Amino acid sequence: MRLSRLAPLVAATVAVAALWVAPLFLDPFAVNVLTRSMIYAVLAVTVDLLWGFMGILTFGQAAFFGVGAYAAAMMLGRFGGAPEWIAAALGVAVAASTLLGLAVGWLSFYHRSTALYASVISLVFPIVVTQLIYSGGELTGSSSGLVGFDVLPFEPAGFFRLAAMVLVAVTLAAWVFVRSDAGRALVAVRDNDARCAYLGLNPKRLQILMTTVLAGVAGLAGFMFANASGVVAPENAGFLFGTELVIWVALGGRGTLLGPVVGTVAIDYLAANLSGNLPFLWQLLLGATFVAVIILLPGGLAELASRVVGWLPSRRAEGFAPTLRARASLPASRDYADPLLKVSGLAKSYGSLTVLENIDLEVRPGELVSLVGPNGAGKTTLMRCLSDGTEPIKGEIAIDGSSTAGLTPNRIVALGIGRKFQVASVFESLTVADCLLLARASHDGLSPVGRAQALSLPQAAIDVMRMTGLDRMLASPVHLLSHGQKQALELSMVVALEPRMILLDEPTAGLTKAERTTIGTVLRTLTGELGIAAVLVEHDLDFVRQISSRIVVLHQGRLVLDGTVDEVVNSETVKTIYSGGGHD
Amino acid sequence: MLLILDVLTTAAVLFVVAIGLLAIFGVLKIINFAHGAWITVGAYCAVVTTHLGLNPWVALPLAFVVGGALGALSELFIIRPLYRRPLDAILATWGLGIVIGQLITLGFGRDVQLTPNLVSGTVNLLGVDYSAYRLVALAAAIVVGVAFAATIEGTRLGLSARAVIMNETLARGLGIDTARVRLLTFMIGAGLAALSGVLLTPLSSVDPNMGVGWLIGAFMLVMVANGSLPALALACLAFGAAQVLISTFVSPILGSIAIAVLAALVLRINPKGFSRA
Repeated sequence: MRLSRLAPLVAATVAVAALWVAPLFLDPFAVNVLTRSMIYAVLAVTVDLLWGFMGILTFGQAAFFGVGAYAAAMMLGRFGGAPEWIAAALGVAVAASTLLGLAVGWLSFYHRSTALYASVISLVFPIVVTQLIYSGGELTGSSSGLVGFDVLPFEPAGFFRLAAMVLVAVTLAAWVFVRSDAGRALVAVRDNDARCAYLGLNPKRLQILMTTVLAGVAGLAGFMFANASGVVAPENAGFLFGTELVIWVALGGRGTLLGPVVGTVAIDYLAANLSGNLPFLWQLLLGATFVAVIILLPGGLAELASRVVGWLPSRRAEGFAPTLRARASLPASRDYADPLLKVSGLAKSYGSLTVLENIDLEVRPGELVSLVGPNGAGKTTLMRCLSDGTEPIKGEIAIDGSSTAGLTPNRIVALGIGRKFQVASVFESLTVADCLLLARASHDGLSPVGRAQALSLPQAAIDVMRMTGLDRMLASPVHLLSHGQKQALELSMVVALEPRMILLDEPTAGLTKAERTTIGTVLRTLTGELGIAAVLVEHDLDFVRQISSRIVVLHQGRLVLDGTVDEVVNSETVKTIYSGGGHD
Repeated sequence: MLLILDVLTTAAVLFVVAIGLLAIFGVLKIINFAHGAWITVGAYCAVVTTHLGLNPWVALPLAFVVGGALGALSELFIIRPLYRRPLDAILATWGLGIVIGQLITLGFGRDVQLTPNLVSGTVNLLGVDYSAYRLVALAAAIVVGVAFAATIEGTRLGLSARAVIMNETLARGLGIDTARVRLLTFMIGAGLAALSGVLLTPLSSVDPNMGVGWLIGAFMLVMVANGSLPALALACLAFGAAQVLISTFVSPILGSIAIAVLAALVLRINPKGFSRA
């Protein structure tokens, strides 16, 4: 274990050493071109983190790069190359791009924003930056760019070594980060950002944070570019350069970090050597290869390499599993008389279609309330209104006395509500252990540098896993689990949140008799012994009768009955509703 | 008056350029970044027509046919495997655009080509001398828009396309050949893009990369229209007006980014854009 943790550091050290002596053996042309290629490779790493790992297709890194380059060039051109001004130029380049990254991130990611919208913004942003550069007059040099500013006092070999060290450092940091616990969150947001929110995490904040930090890294690359090349031009910030970055990352192999680095350096170096002789043919070949790779080999050349060699580490080849440990659960110290959930006068409509009308409901700690009613009665809609305060509703929903109006799902989770969906909502590209790790993240945090060796879960969550055999499958990828196992995994994730109330939407649908009994036992333990409240949507009336402490009947959007199991089961109203109604 | 005509004709040009992209996005849910390349192909059809000494108007049907044929090939070999990966489809069509642009460069060189004006001179309209061609473009936009709406509303293909938009699985279950609907839609979309390329030749310089600039504008308009034809017309009018007014009264550079910025803001406020406004 220790050895494999040291491996990236050793590899990075070897890489730095090799690149340090490389200029001695390369001709000046190669040194110049590779310096530029390695700066571009830093950008490729940022694009790979955003696109390959987080699923945000971005063309905007070029603009942050351009902003960094122009900020450095303008500072150095105005104040000269004294050491303190070089430091100031570096600071301004990184700060300006970071701030713009924050603005772009805030604009791109908000509750219910789509991946496509982020791509649209990332496309508009470089166009705006380029036009601003064109209209900047003498300040930005307009279409001819800026030249003749002072730069760092390095020989070409010095810039080569600087670019190499920064590239290795950025790649190493990204490598360690994506393999850490926090790195799991990047993939989780890409897979299922709704589930992230319902685990109490804030996926949008993570996306904004990554956009901001990686914009700063792109700004740093821009600063190096301005110094190494001594010239900045509007094309450096443009949308077309942004698409080139994506092409390099795609060809190298998205989601592998090393693939994009190697791909970028190789393609840019080849381009510099070939495009002089065959400019159009080179572009044609590159474009055709790109199309072919996207269609036939989505993992890029890294996928090809790992198929051929079999040793290249990729994000798919991971079998890490921590040991499970039970944590002491919080004692049920609450006064059972106060309602935990209080719904008054709730109404919900989509346009002219009224789905819920005048719902009043109270749920106390330790109660297991089943919500029954025919299809279309509004059960799932009620669950959605309870767990997402941004749904437009009439009436009032309060959890432990505080209104949920306007709260996004992750903030409602923070109030102590866990929700299990009808179709198991888990993270398909992660392992069982990773899913549970993320379920605990809102309580325990995530390490950005390493992997926790032990995973401590509430006893109830461990019980669910034991009963379904999931505790022996911690290292299994979730997409290999059966339907029932995914349902159980989602239930353990929700229980691991240590909620005060769980909302369950048909947790037994499609499960075997044995699995149903297991889930019933778990629910009774949670409510009876731990004092958790549960609201359950269920069609299986036998199951409902066995486990509920109260039953609520919904029909055509109205709450028609709210009583004990006996009251409801023997009620004439319920018989009428379920047998079609109207014929006595 | 001049401003009103400018707004109307600018909106018309935007509409003609964007409608092919809208057709493909509406039915296939694919953003076709090769759209710019189809526009360029259309414009070069006009160049070829000139070289052959034919009537410049022949370029219109020629472009529609060439665009449709190329569209069929790309749907079969490039788009079809990517329906489940919409973001990858953006990239693959962008790569296709690069390939087409480079092929055109290899064939015709990278220089700007000159084409004869389809209609020259000016027309006196309510006391203003106005470019006759821009009025022709306005008429063309109306014709294309009406023809497109008639296809969607009045033909069997349009009915099938609407079924595919609403529920593709059900449509297939009812015996509609959805693969054929997709193929035909893509051909029509590419054909319309090439057609708009011909119509652009008197207004824009013809070179191998001319399509890229138009692509961005068309893309933003289609995003705002969210696949709806009336919403596209509305978006073209609103943003066309903004572009003309900002270019005239503030600065041409700001005018050139007006559409992109305004569309991004509209989508931030209402993700469905103009489609339910």
